[in-house]
Amino acid sequence: MRRSTILWFLIATCLGVALFLVKHEVQQREEQLASLHRDILASQEAIHVLEAEWSYLNRPDRLEALVRRHLNLVPLDTRRLGSVEMLPMRLTLSDIGDIPVDPVDALTPILAELPPLPVGRPVAFTREVRR
Amino acid sequence: MRTRTETVRLEGHAKQAIETGRNRLILAGCLMALAFTAIGGRVIELSVLRDHNEPDLATVAPGARLAVGRADIVDRNGMLVATSLRTPSLYADPHEVLDAEDAAFRLSTVLTQINPAETAAKLASDKRFIWLKRNLTPREQQAVNSLGIPGLHFQDEWKRIYPQGALTAHVVGFTDVDDQGIAGVERSFDDVLRGGREPLRLAIDLRIQHVVREEVARQVAQFEGIGGTGMMLDVDTGETVALVSLPDFDPNVPGQMDPDALFNRATLGVYEMGSTFKIFNTAMALDTGTATMRSGYDATHPIRIARFTINDDHAKARWLSVPEIFKYSSNIGSVKMALDVGTERQRAFMAKLGMLGETAIELPERGRPMVPSPWRPINTMTIAFGHGLAVSPLHLVSGVAAVVNGGIRHPATLLRADMPAPGTRIISEQTSHDMRRLMRLVVEEGTGRKAQTDGYVVGGKTGTAEKVSAHGGYRRKALMSSFVAAFPMQAPRYVVLVMVDEPKGQKESHGYATGGWVAAPAVSRIIARSAPLLGVAPADPESPEIRRDLMIELPAEGGKRLASF
Repeated sequence: MRRSTILWFLIATCLGVALFLVKHEVQQREEQLASLHRDILASQEAIHVLEAEWSYLNRPDRLEALVRRHLNLVPLDTRRLGSVEMLPMRLTLSDIGDIPVDPVDALTPILAELPPLPVGRPVAFTREVRR
Repeated sequence: MRTRTETVRLEGHAKQAIETGRNRLILAGCLMALAFTAIGGRVIELSVLRDHNEPDLATVAPGARLAVGRADIVDRNGMLVATSLRTPSLYADPHEVLDAEDAAFRLSTVLTQINPAETAAKLASDKRFIWLKRNLTPREQQAVNSLGIPGLHFQDEWKRIYPQGALTAHVVGFTDVDDQGIAGVERSFDDVLRGGREPLRLAIDLRIQHVVREEVARQVAQFEGIGGTGMMLDVDTGETVALVSLPDFDPNVPGQMDPDALFNRATLGVYEMGSTFKIFNTAMALDTGTATMRSGYDATHPIRIARFTINDDHAKARWLSVPEIFKYSSNIGSVKMALDVGTERQRAFMAKLGMLGETAIELPERGRPMVPSPWRPINTMTIAFGHGLAVSPLHLVSGVAAVVNGGIRHPATLLRADMPAPGTRIISEQTSHDMRRLMRLVVEEGTGRKAQTDGYVVGGKTGTAEKVSAHGGYRRKALMSSFVAAFPMQAPRYVVLVMVDEPKGQKESHGYATGGWVAAPAVSRIIARSAPLLGVAPADPESPEIRRDLMIELPAEGGKRLASF
């Protein structure tokens, strides 16, 4: 009788302690969750602001001015656009034997007709550029 | 423990009482046992058998998503054109302010827009709440904080920001200080934007919008015009890829806008379009069958009716075939074509094209066409060359899109359409093909030669209309010069319009301010710059397939037939 009483008492104490620990853990996790939510919201708002800034910095007129100032790009020339069908058939080794002229030489007059490619200029970091 | 068993016998009343007590105890014990069994059963049911009302996982507390005051607006590629940012607004509780004059003076050193005298009066008043400045920048907020004036407080507010500034001013519109849309898409989709979280996706492509705006602005500046408009429409869906009206404004600074800059010339302004209407006139004559590509009209003499004389600008004074009437933009020939069709059928055709009602564009700024009432034969004659019926430039563009795309009219829309709305047929496939050939002819050898673009097959029509003056009658010097084009002409995908309001003739244009000189070069540059962005493959106009597709036979001056391309 006394032994079983002690046993039950022990079980009840253990359960009480366990319940307290679980409850404490849950509380801690809930606080953690709330703080994570706050962080997520803050990050989302920061992303939102950055998106607006990204769009502002990507204004086409600004990009155009920057490209003019820093890069050597020109508008796309339609003569530089083509499709795969426009390519000549690939030469096999036996074909090359029959052709008297160098295929590169044959291309030269075609290439000469195209407007000159923009020449890359060395990038110089002046104070103005850095600013 | 050892117990001595002893039997006690009770008799009479005592036994009776004990029996009753025992029975009652058993009854109470049974009830208690029943209650515990029920609780135990419920515990087993909840934990072992699992009640289905219990979720497997704890639900996340709501509020992990940013609640923005108003949904964003993005272009067709997802670039932001309007968004809401949280900004602090400064207010004061005058009761807490110790020295109103000193506070007002110190504030005015930090916030430039604040008038010290006015603010001092406000701070000395008897109210409990006054706004000092709405929507401060973070730097201004820091400066106000470091002043350390008691009685000043901040409240976060949502402010509408337009990162693209003036570029999409007329399309997107703007909101008032209380975040209510009062112009453009902001107003027409006010409810959707206020309740929604998903961004509103427009059909506008910012890159194309920029190209169109820059080219129209260049023509307006070069020809000293008072304004202009430019548009690009997808012919198969009716989506407006670009919509520009100049002059425009910066929607980020409301309250300082010039009423002229706020006026949307592209959708709200209605104008007599001039010769670009001959596209509709010719399509109507060909589709009703009163004229064919081979028939012709006598354009030798001007037409005199009542007190008007209808003359040709590029007079040939001879018999002209239908393609020639279109190519030389002959008013006389067009009038005769329209008279053959008749007043009633012309009116019905214009109604079918949507020229008699407002456009379907999702903007509050929609112009109502000025339709002649009653529609007399004289109106039939003037409408043939684009006078007497005033429509908005958007009417013209969506009409031309329907004429060239195979004859199907799609209502113009500002929203990106995943599934194009079904259109209504207005002219036959064959008429549409004939019109494409005629429009190509104008660019190849007619009034629109300046619209030719390397690598793309462009077709179009010039228009130069005199504006109606406020006192009635036409002003010879005030023109509306326009060019409407479609490309690529062998299978049109986009329609482009450029229109300049009141251009003045320049030395470079030999004093001309006509559509061919003013608007056509801009159209050519717009197409050259935007076609690679839109994924339109270049084609050689001289290639045999395209020549055969767009060829027109013209009678030569001597009467002999010559092939012309």
